[in-house]
Amino acid sequence: MTRGTLVYIIQRLLLISFTAVAISSIVFIGEHALLPGDAFVSERPHNPRELAMLLHHFNLDLPLPEQYRIWVTGVLHGNLGESLVNRGVQITPLLIRELGTSATLGAAALVFTVGLGLLLGLFAALKQNTWVDYVASSTAVVGYSMPNFVIATVLVLVTGKLFYIWTNGVFFYEIGWGKPEQILVPAIALGFPYASIVARLTRASMLEVIRQDYVRTAWAKGLRPRVVIIRHALRNALIPVVTILGPLSTGILTGVVVIENIFGIPGLGKEFIDSILNRDYNIVIGVFTFYAALIGVVNLGVDLVYPVLDPRIRY
Amino acid sequence: MATLPGAALPEEYVSDVYEMPEQVTLWQDAWRRVRRNKLALVGATIIGLLVVTAVVSVFWTPFPVWKQAIGPTYEGLSAKHLLGLDASGRDILSRIMGGALISLQVGVGTMLIVSLIGIAMGLLAGFYRGVVDSVISTLINIWYGIPDLLVVILLVLLFGRSLANIAFAIAVTRWMDMARLVRGQTFALREREFVEAARSTGTRNLAIILRHILPNALGPILVQATYAVPQAILFEAFLSYLGLGVPPPTPSWGAMAADGFHALELAPHIVLAPAIALSLTLMAFNFVGDGLRDALDPRMRR
Repeated sequence: MTRGTLVYIIQRLLLISFTAVAISSIVFIGEHALLPGDAFVSERPHNPRELAMLLHHFNLDLPLPEQYRIWVTGVLHGNLGESLVNRGVQITPLLIRELGTSATLGAAALVFTVGLGLLLGLFAALKQNTWVDYVASSTAVVGYSMPNFVIATVLVLVTGKLFYIWTNGVFFYEIGWGKPEQILVPAIALGFPYASIVARLTRASMLEVIRQDYVRTAWAKGLRPRVVIIRHALRNALIPVVTILGPLSTGILTGVVVIENIFGIPGLGKEFIDSILNRDYNIVIGVFTFYAALIGVVNLGVDLVYPVLDPRIRY
Repeated sequence: MATLPGAALPEEYVSDVYEMPEQVTLWQDAWRRVRRNKLALVGATIIGLLVVTAVVSVFWTPFPVWKQAIGPTYEGLSAKHLLGLDASGRDILSRIMGGALISLQVGVGTMLIVSLIGIAMGLLAGFYRGVVDSVISTLINIWYGIPDLLVVILLVLLFGRSLANIAFAIAVTRWMDMARLVRGQTFALREREFVEAARSTGTRNLAIILRHILPNALGPILVQATYAVPQAILFEAFLSYLGLGVPPPTPSWGAMAADGFHALELAPHIVLAPAIALSLTLMAFNFVGDGLRDALDPRMRR
């Protein structure tokens, strides 16, 4: 790693922190300025003194600029405050724990997406206009048009019910989180629509690359097919695929919101919906901060992969 | 043998009927190729059916979309209820029809707002370049880093769960693709001779943008707009699946799928009916989008 790369990473990290604080500031102001009443308005009636104490405890009795100042100071010190509903629960450690869950699920989905997408795209390109190509390409179109909750439903139906019947209860999928094997079904549901995007892209760029002169040269000098395809063709065909890894990861991370709620996985996405339904606005803001930072870091990671694949790119 | 300039051509070279190459505009050519694309035709047919269903559902559905029965619930497919009954004993076919209207409204509404914002931003950035472009491009890049689904949920929470708000919220997070596309097109078009000609005759900037640049960028815009519809429909389905979309009992495919999920083993048809409707719709729009893209791409002409 050169010094330039290090400077670049530090710059990007600073920008990411700035973006995260900016986005959560907008959310903070939006929630406090636009939502009518306060966070406790719809709960069971409080006696006025208790309500005043609650408001005071969460600084909600202060004017908005002052509230914002306290909140921003906290955020810059890594303290996102306290849950409004579950009193005494500190948000930062809670979200860090849930971030781990979501990141694991997201990473598994990303591996699945890229793996399946590359395989489908590669075979479709190498066997262009044969039945392999048609099957792979139509799988891609179908996958692209199925929302992840539809795929999740079908997968649960098949792995939960049919597997149970077929194997007499020996082998089936149990909805939940915690056992390592339970990650597979949600990860597939999450990644499948994106796998078809990767497949389409791989097919197109592979078709372009295998017609290039240097690939023909590689064939002509008698290299083994595997070497030509993997080392000469695929490596260059991968570059466009890497460019969409950024949007892809963002897509997967937002898809997590839906998938975690279907499968009851205790991650950031489930926390987001739960806190919205519970009107726990502090957590909502916290989730936004984490998401913005996470998306930034993932995109930075993708940008750092480019130069490995394509030595023409340097920072 | 050298021919002198002006020398008469031999008789056989001169024909009284000079055969003009057939004049075909881009749009005629595109239309011809869309018609030849079977997938696009299938997609267009499904969309046509969807529109008819949605319009019909305004006036007539086999059963009222909200009518809950005291009788049977979770009932499977039958002659009376073609797609069965849901957990509250409502006729699923009627609700699928009603859901088509909701999906189409959100899809088309969002597409219109996305086009409006995206085209305006793209034209401004591409035409004026410089500072305007830097500001808009930075805005686009920042926007791409925003978790869109979360923002949509938050906006809907802040402004209310009406259909118009949902369309607006989705559009606010999804205008960047259109803006980026129009910006690129404008960049290329503003250097073309006909724009320079217009400028040299003293045409005002606004007229150049609207009368010379915009019409020439319509092809790619149309393709992008077609893709925006399924994206919006998908987002609305996500929202209502999570219980944050249009409030019940309005029939929305996402909400119907969510309702049925808890009874997946008992009555899978409750989930599968809206899921299939949704997937078919998204697939149809994607097919038509692909068909239009291929048809309007000058590189693939004939």
